[in-house]
Amino acid sequence: MDKSKVKTLQDLIAESAECYGDKTFLKEKIGKNIVETSFRQLCENSKRVGRFLAETQGKKVHASLIGATSSAYLTAYFGTACSGNVIVPLDAQMKEDDLCDHLRRSDSEVFFFDKKFVPMLDAVRKNCPMVKTFVSLQEVEGETSLAKVLESYEPMEWTPISPDSLAAILFTSGTTGLSKGVMLLHSNFIDNTMCQDNESDESDVLLSVLPIHHVYCFTCDILLSLRYGTQVCVNDSMMHIAQNLKLFQPTIILLVPMIAETIYRKIKAFTDAHPEADINAVATATFGGRLRGIYSGGAYLNPTLSEAYRSFNIPIAQGYGMTECSPRISTAHLDDTNMESVGTIVNGCQVKIVDGEIWAKSPSVMAGYYKNPEATAESLTEDGWLRTGDLGYVDNTNHLYITGRKKNLIILSNGENVSPEELENKFSGLDWLSEVLVYAEDGQITAEIYPNQEFLAENGIDKIKELFTNHVSEVNKTVSTPKAIRRMRIRDVEFNKTTSKKIKRKQDIIGELIK
Amino acid sequence: MFEQIKEIIVNYVDVEESAVTENSRFIEDLGFNSYDFMSFLGEVEETFEITVEEEDVLKITTVGEAIKYIESLK
Repeated sequence: MDKSKVKTLQDLIAESAECYGDKTFLKEKIGKNIVETSFRQLCENSKRVGRFLAETQGKKVHASLIGATSSAYLTAYFGTACSGNVIVPLDAQMKEDDLCDHLRRSDSEVFFFDKKFVPMLDAVRKNCPMVKTFVSLQEVEGETSLAKVLESYEPMEWTPISPDSLAAILFTSGTTGLSKGVMLLHSNFIDNTMCQDNESDESDVLLSVLPIHHVYCFTCDILLSLRYGTQVCVNDSMMHIAQNLKLFQPTIILLVPMIAETIYRKIKAFTDAHPEADINAVATATFGGRLRGIYSGGAYLNPTLSEAYRSFNIPIAQGYGMTECSPRISTAHLDDTNMESVGTIVNGCQVKIVDGEIWAKSPSVMAGYYKNPEATAESLTEDGWLRTGDLGYVDNTNHLYITGRKKNLIILSNGENVSPEELENKFSGLDWLSEVLVYAEDGQITAEIYPNQEFLAENGIDKIKELFTNHVSEVNKTVSTPKAIRRMRIRDVEFNKTTSKKIKRKQDIIGELIK
Repeated sequence: MFEQIKEIIVNYVDVEESAVTENSRFIEDLGFNSYDFMSFLGEVEETFEITVEEEDVLKITTVGEAIKYIESLK
């Protein structure tokens, strides 16, 4: 694809149809069948949705979209954004109140929804009177379906749109009233899609497992695949990831560390039970046989895990970014052996460290938060630097390293700052441990753990207590005295997590105090 | 059905079949994590030719509840 021709999402879709035509772009399981959508069909169908919006709305609108990755979902997404309207992708795990709140706060007048949300429609119609047009992504009785829209409207001729126009509003996670709507322009998405080269090609097959409303999934699974002509297969449920890896035999996959870790444990458990098996062969088969690499993002990837994957000949590499930067700030390279870093800073992005915090400036940086100038001013400087809120540093080979989150810093009474992530990372790669959270309790640095339940079942709680106490002593030897862990707690249930499987920092303290 | 479920369970977690009872809780007693449990249900779907709804997953905590759930779908 000729990068110079692509300035907007409209250009990207049109060019992908031009370059890759009838090649299959998307494969999804619908019932027992695999349904395919070509690059050309996605473009044509998006133009039909564009005409539908133009004729029914008569002006540019904001349209909210909720559901899982599907051809219908992407058609609604591109159909809206490529015709100069604004798409608002919402978290598919949202509850009714949050849904109504986000529809109102995004000024949405159109709502594309998965059939799972039908039970919430009465509340939406009652509480969000400005939403006038409802379109279901599947057939739902009494509602206009996307299939019906595609049948009833001919593809429109797109009017060119400015690269500086608003394409999407993406809400950052947060409870009602606190989440912020990140405004991304067409130029933001395109810069992030085009900033690197030779990452993938037409021979690649990608299995998309992450939630599509996140920009990490949208840019890196979908937009990069449109650019490179990569085929995307949809993982329909976390229940089916093992089957889908075998069915679709992907060559690349983007994951969050938690999924990578569980798959690793399963491979390890199998080979422990079958010592005669060749672990590399088992790992290769688990991933379908053709995988050339895993990209990890969204949370800290433990270097021990990367090493283990590399020992199976499956390179795993981690990148770094945030919704506010469309998202990539640094990117992973499968042939990079630097496991501690989050990859190298992407082309066209400047990074500087201010008081330990990472600041980024690039054409991918958002226009601001929707109707929230105070939050925008906190996040963006007047000359366009994005304060990421993450702490880290850059080395002389352009590799970026993250050491923690600024807002999570524990400020001790003596004024010393402690990054809880820095301490938590010292608990990685332990077979007796599943999860750890470090926080301050009554001014004391506390580590609370959720033990590995298999290990616990075999060895008992006393063994866990002993290992935990010994490990904390070891950790405390590596940090200055004020940063030492003073309290330890063991909990018997998993920590609460966000929909992207990150442990929530705000938790009820329920672990049994052991020291 | 109990026998078949036990056979599947031991592929996911390191327990002996004899240790699995209808009262065993997947996470607390058998050591499943959330992802293992989802994968396990995927295999249950294939074995029993049923479709598990993701919304129902949270309602299943013990082996006995899983059996009842599967039977309700067959």
